[in-house]
Amino acid sequence: MKLNKRYARSIKTDLSFYFSATVLTMVTLLMFYLFYIAGTGINKYGDDFFSAYKREDATFSTYAEIPDEELSALELKYGVTLEKERFAATDEGEYRVRVFLPNGKIDLYEIQDGHAPENNGDIIISAGYAVENNVKVGDRLKVNGKEYAVAGTFLRPDYLYMVENLTDDYKNVTTFFLAYMTPEEFKDSFDGGSINYKVIYGDDTDQVTFRKEINENYYMASYLSADSNMRITFVHQQADMFIMSSWFILVIFPLVTVALICILLGRRIRAEQKLIGTLSAMGYEKSKLMRHYSLFAAIPGVIGGLLTSVCALILSGPFGSIGLADYEPMKPQFTLPVWVAVAGIIVPTLIYWLAAMLRVRKLLKEDTVKLLAGQVGNNAKSRRILTKSKKKVGFKYAIRQLVGNPGRSFVIFLGIFLGAMIMAFGYSFIDSVKAVGEQAHGEFGTFKYEYVLNTLEKGAPDGGEAMMILPYEDGDMRRFSLIGLDGDATLWNLTTTDGKKADIENGFYISTLCEAICGVHKGDEFTFRSIATLEEHTVKIDGVIRNGYQNYIVSSREKIADITGLDKENYNAILSNHSLDLEKDKVAETITDSSFETQMQNMLNAMSGLVYAFIGIGMIVCVASLYATVNTMLSENRHNISMLKVLGFENGRIHSMIISSNHLLLIPGIALGIAAAYGIMAWYSSQFVEIEKLMIPATLKPFSIILTVLFTAACYFVSLLLLRRKVDKTNMVEALKDGRE
Amino acid sequence: MFIEVKDAKKQYGTGEAAVYALDGADLSLEKGKICVILGPSGSGKSTLLNMIGGLDSLDGGEITVDGQKITGLSKKALTSYRMQSVGFVFQFYNLIPDLTVEENVEVVAEIAEKPLDTDEMLKALDIQKYRYRFPRELSGGQQQRVAIARAMVKNPKLLLCDELTGALDTRSSRSVLKFIEKVNAQYGTTTLIITHNEGIAGIADVVVRIRDGKIASYTENDHKLTADELEM
Repeated sequence: MKLNKRYARSIKTDLSFYFSATVLTMVTLLMFYLFYIAGTGINKYGDDFFSAYKREDATFSTYAEIPDEELSALELKYGVTLEKERFAATDEGEYRVRVFLPNGKIDLYEIQDGHAPENNGDIIISAGYAVENNVKVGDRLKVNGKEYAVAGTFLRPDYLYMVENLTDDYKNVTTFFLAYMTPEEFKDSFDGGSINYKVIYGDDTDQVTFRKEINENYYMASYLSADSNMRITFVHQQADMFIMSSWFILVIFPLVTVALICILLGRRIRAEQKLIGTLSAMGYEKSKLMRHYSLFAAIPGVIGGLLTSVCALILSGPFGSIGLADYEPMKPQFTLPVWVAVAGIIVPTLIYWLAAMLRVRKLLKEDTVKLLAGQVGNNAKSRRILTKSKKKVGFKYAIRQLVGNPGRSFVIFLGIFLGAMIMAFGYSFIDSVKAVGEQAHGEFGTFKYEYVLNTLEKGAPDGGEAMMILPYEDGDMRRFSLIGLDGDATLWNLTTTDGKKADIENGFYISTLCEAICGVHKGDEFTFRSIATLEEHTVKIDGVIRNGYQNYIVSSREKIADITGLDKENYNAILSNHSLDLEKDKVAETITDSSFETQMQNMLNAMSGLVYAFIGIGMIVCVASLYATVNTMLSENRHNISMLKVLGFENGRIHSMIISSNHLLLIPGIALGIAAAYGIMAWYSSQFVEIEKLMIPATLKPFSIILTVLFTAACYFVSLLLLRRKVDKTNMVEALKDGRE
Repeated sequence: MFIEVKDAKKQYGTGEAAVYALDGADLSLEKGKICVILGPSGSGKSTLLNMIGGLDSLDGGEITVDGQKITGLSKKALTSYRMQSVGFVFQFYNLIPDLTVEENVEVVAEIAEKPLDTDEMLKALDIQKYRYRFPRELSGGQQQRVAIARAMVKNPKLLLCDELTGALDTRSSRSVLKFIEKVNAQYGTTTLIITHNEGIAGIADVVVRIRDGKIASYTENDHKLTADELEM
């Protein structure tokens, strides 16, 4: 069809429209690809790595050591793989190290750089710390007072997310690492070290019976299944979150962009109604015209989809790597599946194609004479508003432009709304994570130090307040801490959500985080069990303490002793307002009031790249969509602009009359965008509870709101500024030649 | 002289495709007169009108209106000239579709230095009863009267009409020309009408014929007719 020669010419004429439509298509597809590639790549890497390096199903410790020959007997009896792991912890001041004796069957390590320790002066360290602190092979590090040469770096499957303590909320690769040395060196330095047992269950293993037998014979001290181990679960949980986000993005953002482009295409086709009418009058068949215009519309879909797929194929590595910020330096293969790339090209193209086809079909149902006169779609009743008003003509014109062109106004609103929403969401994420650090102080309590002890002490501590803290789990194996305090404890926050002080001597109280994770509420009966003995207990929950960062049940030491079977005078942690001079060997972990804030800051640092990329995408969406729409608006108003010029209107006045009408959409667009961002952040926070074991309060600070308003307004005015010259360049004589009303 | 055009030249395109729309045109017109410029399509009459109205610029020659040299004025000065001194009426009316009749007139009154009263203008053109209607709700003749009201409300020194009856039937054309006569008589506005319709020439004080970008003849009309007397 000769008519199809118009494709190339049309692209040249409407370059700005095709450019904007292509950019919008690309931005939305890129966001989908980014999250999808990251999620699937991490998941596959996790599965392969866990399988290749024999990831544990659980780790546990016992009060009595299990003899080696018993391990073999247990393996045979229960069809499990069981291994004794020796490790030791050491604090070098600047950093803390957990040194392991290499395993042979479970949780094996993979060398990332260099080689395994060959000599007694060699050490290999976890790769995350090496990258973070720029430690190279050959550098020297002091461990347990002795200097070692770094022979290599490694990853191991139970530490792909490097949480130092399981009570921590975020990884620590700045002051904590894992290490291996030669077996001789380990023995010399740490004697036998501490012992943990690693287990991989067989398909038919009766886990409960196995655990009960271990407890009966060797007294289980702790038990942590892989499903509850954040260092392991985080791999798939975050990857799943990425995939979930990608589908959310694919459904929401491209659909919005598709709607935007469809409306613009529809308007452009309407603008061509005289030509469509002429072609129809000349005898062109309806199907040919529909095909012609639908192919027109498919151009941005095909170009955008192709370019994005090519970009994603080339950049899939750096793309996916953005999602690796929280992990140890894993090396997944990030690839864009062919079907996803093809879908990326076909889906938007098909939608644009269909939209154009329906639009032409609708137009062709109109009377050809009306089409030839360009009168289709010019009789909107909404344009009649304010006819008798005495307001300035410019104002009335602006209002009619907005109300009389709902599709166009909606697209401009959408551009502002989307831009503001994406930017505000980025800022809200930063504010919310910062708020965790700021609010956590008040919700933890007034203590400055929390010392978790290796040993069970009795009586009253020499300074500070005693606390008993033990891990328990509910029926779904969701872990939490069972905490016992003295009735007159002052350093732990015991203020309930009702604003009253928890009466722990007479009841059990849960934290708001525990309420969210375990789904238990005030007045409910809560059944849970000891992780070590699997012994079940049921208590009535008397209230909820506002604490979104720690997952616990708290009561008096006496009541907790009834559950644990320990003495009511026992304690294994101390809360204090000042630093205590405790025996170093007795302290398993020291948590300061700033630890949590530091973890949140680390989380923010790690994710800042992604967040700022998000804000940048918001800006692109805003500018591109506004540019495309206002450009269409100017094309549609070309005749009016030239007439106003003829009448002696200065360019400034013409801008204010034609373009500035959209200013009215700026405030509602930004306001609703910010509100939507806050809503999405609140939803995102609720998803975070399961993954991070943390309640992030959806926060958007006034300064962030100001930044969002400023940046959105800047994007809006930049897009208008880019189009100002179009008004200035409008040729009065040429434009008037085709003006017929 | 109120309008003086000296050796006006305008070329569109280059090389073999070059077209000389004006090729050394000269014209003088006294204040308050009605001048009808006749010529076939492509003779350069619209180009001459655009040049006098400050819509386009000459490649050579000079145009002076009421002592003000138009040639060489900056874009800003030309905009000011159009706003203060010139009223335009076009063949296809070129009204702003989203404004009512009254607003199409008011929008110009709002920016004019010494505008005439909008109501007075609507009455003068007999369109006050359509004041709240939109252009698409009017006939061609009614729309052209709105266009004249819009052009005249700024009280211009010069009214330029480009084929103002070209899209109208005879009855509407006569009616529109009556209003042109009326505003010329009432406000003393110098009026330049370009047309290829010989029948209109009767209402002119001066009839100019243009051919191939040059003024072919300049005739003072000693037997001026009223619009009602025209044979169209």
